[in-house]
Amino acid sequence: MRLFKDALARRAMGLVAALPGILVLLIVVGLFLKSKAILGIEPLSRLLFSSAWHPLKGQFGLLAFITGTVWVTVTALVLAVPVSILAAIYLSEYAPRWVRESAKPAVDLLAGLPSVVYGVWGVLLVVPFVGGVLAPLAGVYSSGYSILAGGIVLAIMTFPTIIHVTLEVFASVPRSLRDASLSLGATKWETTRHVVLRKGAQGILAASVLGFSRAFGETMAVLMVVGNVPAVPRSLFDPGYPLPALIANNYGEMMSVPRYDAALMTAALVLMLIVLFFNVLARRILVRVERRVR
Amino acid sequence: MNGPAPISIRNLSVFYGDLQVLKDVNLDIPAKKITVIIGPSGCGKTTLLLSLNRLLDTAEGVRIRGQVLLDGEDIYAPRTEVTRIRKKMGLLSQKPQVLPMSIHDNVAYGPRIHGLRSKKDIDRRVEHYLKVAGLWEEVKDRLREPASVLSVGQQQRLCLARGLAVEPEIILGDEPTSALDPQSSQNVERRLMELKQEYTVVVVTHILRQARRVADYLAFLYLGELVEHGPAAEVFANPKDPRTRAYLTGEIS
Amino acid sequence: MNGVANGRLGKRKRADLFFRVLATASAAVVLLSLLLILGTILWKSVPALSLSMLTQTPKGGFYLGKEGGILNAIVGSLYLAIGATVLAFLLSLPLVLYLNIYKGRASKTAVWTRFFLDVLWGVPSIVYGAFGFVVMLALGLRASLLAGMLTVALLEFPIMSRAIDEVMRLVPRELTEASDSLGATRFETALKVMVRQSAPGILTGVLLAFGRGIGDAASVLFTAGFTDRVPASLADPAATLPLAIFFQLGTPFPEVQQRAYASAAVLTLIILLISLAGRAMSRKYTRHVVK
Repeated sequence: MRLFKDALARRAMGLVAALPGILVLLIVVGLFLKSKAILGIEPLSRLLFSSAWHPLKGQFGLLAFITGTVWVTVTALVLAVPVSILAAIYLSEYAPRWVRESAKPAVDLLAGLPSVVYGVWGVLLVVPFVGGVLAPLAGVYSSGYSILAGGIVLAIMTFPTIIHVTLEVFASVPRSLRDASLSLGATKWETTRHVVLRKGAQGILAASVLGFSRAFGETMAVLMVVGNVPAVPRSLFDPGYPLPALIANNYGEMMSVPRYDAALMTAALVLMLIVLFFNVLARRILVRVERRVR
Repeated sequence: MNGPAPISIRNLSVFYGDLQVLKDVNLDIPAKKITVIIGPSGCGKTTLLLSLNRLLDTAEGVRIRGQVLLDGEDIYAPRTEVTRIRKKMGLLSQKPQVLPMSIHDNVAYGPRIHGLRSKKDIDRRVEHYLKVAGLWEEVKDRLREPASVLSVGQQQRLCLARGLAVEPEIILGDEPTSALDPQSSQNVERRLMELKQEYTVVVVTHILRQARRVADYLAFLYLGELVEHGPAAEVFANPKDPRTRAYLTGEIS
Repeated sequence: MNGVANGRLGKRKRADLFFRVLATASAAVVLLSLLLILGTILWKSVPALSLSMLTQTPKGGFYLGKEGGILNAIVGSLYLAIGATVLAFLLSLPLVLYLNIYKGRASKTAVWTRFFLDVLWGVPSIVYGAFGFVVMLALGLRASLLAGMLTVALLEFPIMSRAIDEVMRLVPRELTEASDSLGATRFETALKVMVRQSAPGILTGVLLAFGRGIGDAASVLFTAGFTDRVPASLADPAATLPLAIFFQLGTPFPEVQQRAYASAAVLTLIILLISLAGRAMSRKYTRHVVK
């Protein structure tokens, strides 16, 4: 009887193991099918590389949105990665234990805050800050609803992901290794730089990759602060319109304009393919780095 | 002893939180000799050793009272520059900790940190100390390989070379052969005995036979107290304190 | 020195200090962000929160009316998130157990499965919303509590799986070997040893996924609908707190905006509570865990 239960459980669980692969396939196929209405008509190059977005006229160029997505994500990472790593260095190498232990739940809390809450906060604080403080400092005019605002909010949302993994990486570096460096007369920073960061380099890379994934997958918070103007942004202070925001905002109209829904599904498909492609790339890089470290 | 002792430990007490690990230790370490600190595990040997290069600073909740005089200056005085102190001492740990870099860079790490710039000088120094540690022949063709490819015994000798490369005055060893196979242990012991001509050596060990082999001066630590110390031959032949005798005969270990 | 001057010492000390300050400042920035966010939500929501806000559904012309509260969204969100989390759990736990018990870490199945889980983890929630919408239409469902639950379950599944997997991977092999050598089947080992040992981590993973699920707007945007009423059945549309915030923030009516802030506060409070509860229960379960 026990053996039977075991075999049964094994079969059942094996089926579940196929689930992730099946899901990815289903999503790609499902979105593709729903995009066919437009994919059959518009050449792919026009869909992806034209910035002419006039649904009522039947023009569905996604370039503005693709660049918007890229700009916001890159801005967020440029802000998030250094700050996160430095914060993790502080917590791991300099902070007294009680600070480190109370910081961990704080970081987790930051991770748990919902996207819309970040969005509300972004609208209340970040947008006026960008429009009223940063833009004048840079000598430009901006309403505040901008790529920069999106990037700042997204960066803060990404902090916990990178910090959490980086802290684990640092913790895995044995204390005696740091001691070895210190006993040679190195300063704490020299030790951190040459020993801890070097030993943890691979893990930090993985943390950043994870951070990118997290940032890329965000929708609501960015949508609320980024401006949503369908034009290719030319500076950080310009509004942007990332792909997720496009889809979310036009849900209402999509049924009434011909092929609009297919265009939005194409946008969703583009997102899905980028995620897939990125994961393959990241996996390759991480494996190569791991092999080199070995 | 010729001249003042390079290290003078005066009334040193160390607390981990409420627990007193070292009780009022007074000891002069003789110059250019091998001093071995022995005692049962947990009695504070390693703590005593690490108090000498202020590596205890890195632990949380440690309180230190008393003085450790290095060449006459108290290393625990408030404004002392720690990196300078540590440079005067080389530490060999129980488990070899090679830095995450090539064999060459491991040895070059210390000198580079302290300002040695010229590539020629660095290479020369690396070669010299690898030879002193007895490792040169085995690695001279693969200096650029990561240090992790070496065997444990080789790694320990690498750590020795690395520690010597900053040109310390004193070598500290924390059970330096415990993790090594007999052959490598012997190797390391031999090196240490050669090195005492140039350096003052302080070694902690729980292997009595090793102590008998290498010690010029012996210190016996029991439950945080420095029970007895003196020239090794004397202490081994005529231990004055009953606890020392008990330890040496294996009654307590 | 011995050959090398200590003249660089001043420069080294300055560098040491500089980076220490930089690192501390970075940590301060992170902490400050958290405080700013919580503070702002608090500041804006205190005037909006009242008993009636929490216990009543919106009355009389939702977007124009000053009456009523956000009960519809509170209940809708709870139903939806709990349902979605249960569904996700029923799929996640067996999956992760399978990966850790039956298959070695390096086995092809495990590697591929984990790869696809990584992909799913990174998929933007709007894509789940769009996909959920597609499936909804295909199955003939309307925007409803059920459709929302299924979509959010999809969102939570990779998050929960990864979180639980991270914990289970830490279970030392000796533990499972001990169980096997006593003659237990792999399934029994799985249940009795692995789950017990990872219990605190599993709990944390479930709560983490719940938090993400209840807070997500993009996945329910197309699929759960929105309504003034508390959902009475799975086929009813359900209002959710995130959407309540999103829709109501944009209106020009301050009374309606108040509801958005109140929703934000309630949502944040829920997250805080499950975070604390998670920690507390985690500590309780850690009693059985072998170190």
